[in-house]
Amino acid sequence: MRVIKQKPMTWGERLYIFEALRGLFTTIKHAARGLFRYETLPTISYPEGQPEVRNTYRAKHRLMLRPDGTPRCVACGMCAAACPAHCIFIEATASDDPRIEKKVKRFDIDHLTCVFCGLCVEACPVDALRMDTKEIVFEHRTRDEFVATLETLTAWNPKDYPDDEQSQVAPGGTKNAEARKVWGMEVK
Amino acid sequence: MDIIESKTWVEWIITIAKFGFCFVPVLYILLLIPMERRGAGFMQDRQGPNRSYIKIPFFGKIRVFGYVQNMCDGTKLFFKEMFAPAGVNKVLYYVAPAIPFAIVFLSPCVIPWFGPMVFEWGGQTVRIAGSIVDSDVGVLLLFGFSSLSAYGAVLAGWASKSKYSFLGALRTSSMTISYEVCLGLSMMGVLLLAGSFNLTDIVTWQENHVWGIVAQPVAFFCFLIASIAETGRAPFDVAEGEPELVAGYHTEYGAMQFGLFYMGEYSHICINSFLIATLFLGGYSVPFVTTETMQAHMGGALAILCGVLAFLALAFLHMIYRYSRKLAASKQSNKLEILQEYKLYKIVAWLAAVVFIALGVCAWLFYNPANFIVNGIAVGSLATAVGTALIHLLVLVVKSIMFCWVWIWVRWTLPRFRYDHVMHLGWKIILNIALINLVVTAVIAKLVGGN
Repeated sequence: MRVIKQKPMTWGERLYIFEALRGLFTTIKHAARGLFRYETLPTISYPEGQPEVRNTYRAKHRLMLRPDGTPRCVACGMCAAACPAHCIFIEATASDDPRIEKKVKRFDIDHLTCVFCGLCVEACPVDALRMDTKEIVFEHRTRDEFVATLETLTAWNPKDYPDDEQSQVAPGGTKNAEARKVWGMEVK
Repeated sequence: MDIIESKTWVEWIITIAKFGFCFVPVLYILLLIPMERRGAGFMQDRQGPNRSYIKIPFFGKIRVFGYVQNMCDGTKLFFKEMFAPAGVNKVLYYVAPAIPFAIVFLSPCVIPWFGPMVFEWGGQTVRIAGSIVDSDVGVLLLFGFSSLSAYGAVLAGWASKSKYSFLGALRTSSMTISYEVCLGLSMMGVLLLAGSFNLTDIVTWQENHVWGIVAQPVAFFCFLIASIAETGRAPFDVAEGEPELVAGYHTEYGAMQFGLFYMGEYSHICINSFLIATLFLGGYSVPFVTTETMQAHMGGALAILCGVLAFLALAFLHMIYRYSRKLAASKQSNKLEILQEYKLYKIVAWLAAVVFIALGVCAWLFYNPANFIVNGIAVGSLATAVGTALIHLLVLVVKSIMFCWVWIWVRWTLPRFRYDHVMHLGWKIILNIALINLVVTAVIAKLVGGN
């Protein structure tokens, strides 16, 4: 246990007036900063100026893509099982690719129910699901629009993730061509 | 008709025009509210309210650095429903908010806004006092008026039929009375030195000797604290302490009735800062320059005044250009809109700078009282007197704005005192310091001055 001993106030502190003057000096410094260096204020005038979001922030989800553009998801249902809010809905179907057993037919994430815990990302065995889109604004007119479907989850641009190798493998990425060779097969 | 013929028409015009100074505290409210809100924001590293705007053709949304917020708040308060809770004393409930606000128009009448105007007119010397009422009991009159505003609080608290209002009113009245004593006694040292209750005489004494703040630093300090306490603002706002009493004596008020209390408080600050500036900071007198010197070199004085104003306009321009550069480099999506708005300010400030510089140069080169002849009457001395009055007024306004800032500054820095601490500070500390200061001043004045 840590005991914090409070020091008794010194004579100058008990007089209050000098400490008050010190406080006044502090506030005038801040006021001068606001007046003469307005742009250094930490406030972001929100809708016009956007805050800087790091890619480790658990934002809106996205589904990673194989070189041929199909989602990496194998419809195992691990993310739906891990989800504490039960907001992931998955329907599987047989894959066209003989090397892969299942593919995902429906992958919905209800962002009105989602708690953004990130457990789905942790649970995914094939690194198909990520939350690094930096999209933190969810504004829609109807409730249905808050449900992210397979189309919206896969509609991301590799150019937005220049430092991420896995994203560059997707169609449109810088490493797509060589990854496509390794992947081998074109599947419709 | 004797009274009309006793003065020349110029004298009458100036005497009547002086009544316009009654509205200075009301104008100060317009200045103080944005100053308080944005100043508080800056002190807390916020931006303060800056979003409301007026849309005009070409320049887009004009926000005037958050000044439009004032009008929005005022409009909102003005058009809200006037509401009285059940069981209140209707007459007193509706009269109470008007009292502090009515005092606002009375208090400025004894403050000297400029030095006595002395000029030749039609062969005779005319002398017009700088205050609206040139009374020999000036300060006492002012104190009488400002104590009257306590009635507003007391009546509001009593008429509201609410325990919170009642407690708030009790606290306000007791605090006002306690600190009035301190206020009066701490001021006595200056009065003793000047030897007069007339505020114009006090300023003249300071002009000829030293400023009150140099002669009576302790009294200045006591007076400042006591007058902050008397206006009932933080750190002395126990009367409306939110944790204990909902909002003090104006708990049950809304709409413009609340607005009147609010405006009464701000104009009280204004009056008190004018009083401090007059008593301790030389009032309307220009530092290091006597009025005679200034009048002898009126052209130069006006040129310097214009130069200072031009400098302020250029400093403002520098800030605008600097911020525009930073804004243009930022990623804000509405930056073009804001830059368009700033174009207006740039145009106005450039115009002001050019006009001030031109006026200054003209005053420097061409000002010559001997040249001023209208219809064969020499008005040179009148022009000098008006110029002096203008400079005096601006100096006084600058000094008082400085003290208004002290009010805001202190409010947003220091935490609220507990009620017994306030009383302890008032009766046991400030009062004693003021008394000792008075005695010491009296002894020294007797030994040195010998009168």
